Amino acid sequence: MLKDFHPEKCGSRSGTLGALALILCALIFHALSTGRYPLALGDILHFLAASCGWADMPGERYALLYNILVEIRLPRVLAAILIGASLSISGAAFQGVFQNPLVSPNLLGVLSGAAFGAALGLLLNGSWFFVQASAFSCGIAGVFLALLVARAFGQDSLLMLILGGIISGAFFSALLSIVKYAADPENTLPGIVIWLMGSLSATTLEDTLWLLAPVMALILALSLLGRWLDATAMGDDEARALGVPVGFARYAVICCATLLSSVTVSLAGMIGWVGLVIPHIARLITGPGHRLLLPASALLGASFLLFSDLVARNASSQEIPIGIITELFGIPVFLIVLRRARRGWNA
Amino acid sequence: MPESAPNTLCAERLTFRRGRRLVLDQVDLTFGQGEILALLGANGSGKTTLLRCLLGLLRPDGGMVRLNGEPLPRLGRGRLATMLAYVPQAHVAPFPYTVHEIVLLGRLPRHGLWRSVSAEDRRAVEEALARMEITALRARPYTELSGGERQLALIARALAQGARLIILDEPVAGLDFGHQMRLLACLRELAASGFGILKTTHHPDQALAVATRVALLADARVQADGPPAEILSPETIERLYGVKVERLSSASGQQTFVPRALSMTTKHGAMEYQP
Repeated sequence: MLKDFHPEKCGSRSGTLGALALILCALIFHALSTGRYPLALGDILHFLAASCGWADMPGERYALLYNILVEIRLPRVLAAILIGASLSISGAAFQGVFQNPLVSPNLLGVLSGAAFGAALGLLLNGSWFFVQASAFSCGIAGVFLALLVARAFGQDSLLMLILGGIISGAFFSALLSIVKYAADPENTLPGIVIWLMGSLSATTLEDTLWLLAPVMALILALSLLGRWLDATAMGDDEARALGVPVGFARYAVICCATLLSSVTVSLAGMIGWVGLVIPHIARLITGPGHRLLLPASALLGASFLLFSDLVARNASSQEIPIGIITELFGIPVFLIVLRRARRGWNA
Repeated sequence: MPESAPNTLCAERLTFRRGRRLVLDQVDLTFGQGEILALLGANGSGKTTLLRCLLGLLRPDGGMVRLNGEPLPRLGRGRLATMLAYVPQAHVAPFPYTVHEIVLLGRLPRHGLWRSVSAEDRRAVEEALARMEITALRARPYTELSGGERQLALIARALAQGARLIILDEPVAGLDFGHQMRLLACLRELAASGFGILKTTHHPDQALAVATRVALLADARVQADGPPAEILSPETIERLYGVKVERLSSASGQQTFVPRALSMTTKHGAMEYQP
């Protein structure tokens, strides 16, 4: 399938991204139309036209559709897109920085840190905003600790960064256990456990709209940094000889990817496997060049999480935490991808 | 060679310490267009350190490296990359990039992160591929190539960079005999068309065959620097490697060194180089 694929062919870059964007659009419409009150594509388009003032719609009907589409379904759809794109692109970026296809965004302890932060917020009975802020800042603290450990032992070496990540991840996991142990087992503990399984049900439209611009900016920045990642994949000396400021490039990518992963935890808790699996599928489609792989991962990840959320919402009468769905889907997909991808790794 | 000659890389009184050990001690070395300079030295003699200093990857403790008279730190990585290219020993990439993608990386110093790949970039890549005669490999994953093919792809990348000076780290290491000879012929061709080439090597024979100049590195200093036929003798080789050799001439006038007798008693390693 990939044997005769030439990524350098003119137009194939925009073609691939266009096709992936088209799939995402189709899924968005599908997600907006399915639910307890099914809507046809025509209804949605009619509503869109009406809200732009191009078409007439009875006030009562408009209010109903506004409630279903904008207030109930849109926040989840937007959250799924933002989180799926963020997790996938940061996974692909981490894999590029660490030159290892088995790395997930949690390598440097960002998810462990964020999980602890959120649990701490819940333990202190903080407001929803406080929980989110605590998750976000502890995620960054997790990576900061990893970088600190790496710095203390050996300049910019990748091995030290990985060790720093292991230490930081273990430290925050231990802190999380303390919080769980201290939490009231009647009320707070179940809240923490369920929150850690990941769910999009608590996201609000304000949250997602507010995050839309920064997340897009970070995704764009990572996509631009992709060419540097291709060079650093060859080794540090070679990348420097190709004019790449290796240290700066590495920290810039880690910084963008960390911010993105922290955002996902603060929005929806721990959603596993997306950041590990999606980059592999994207690599099968685009080849390993990061300039194309990174945006493709973002688009594919958004589609994957949107799809997973549809299943989470509709598989049973009770909503299933989306983190469980992504794990259940992610593992078989990963096994299939491993069979195909292993060929080129040489690892 | 005068200081102002175009495309000249010049190390002046280069000193480098690793801990308390002196790895390079006031090393002077110059190479420029049209030359193939072979750098010989035993394992651990500081060849790689010297190479990394010349490439601006290591900051020397003393002395400096100038490119066309300008100190490397003042040039900046981006500009340096368009004048000086580095060909490492053939290695394995973690992801299956195609040969075309690998060679296209050579254009990174020119198009940077923002600009898209231009027609000029594409032309330079095609020319480099054609010159190394690996156009047929362009869509093959680099991870699936043989060692010799990988080395050719890396040289093609250096050519795509547009640099006139190329530094190669043991370019023939790990290649079979045929690939070694073809690679040497290719280097000679590049030098004849105006590239300046510095390579480290463990083969005095090959230095004798293709190099225009030879520099011997031992005891942290360049012990000799000049035309191969003058510098390379059974005496210097014994001093460099601790092996007694004799010089043979083939019917066509080519020279080679063969060891007199292989014995484990020959001293080697920390021996003193006596000029």
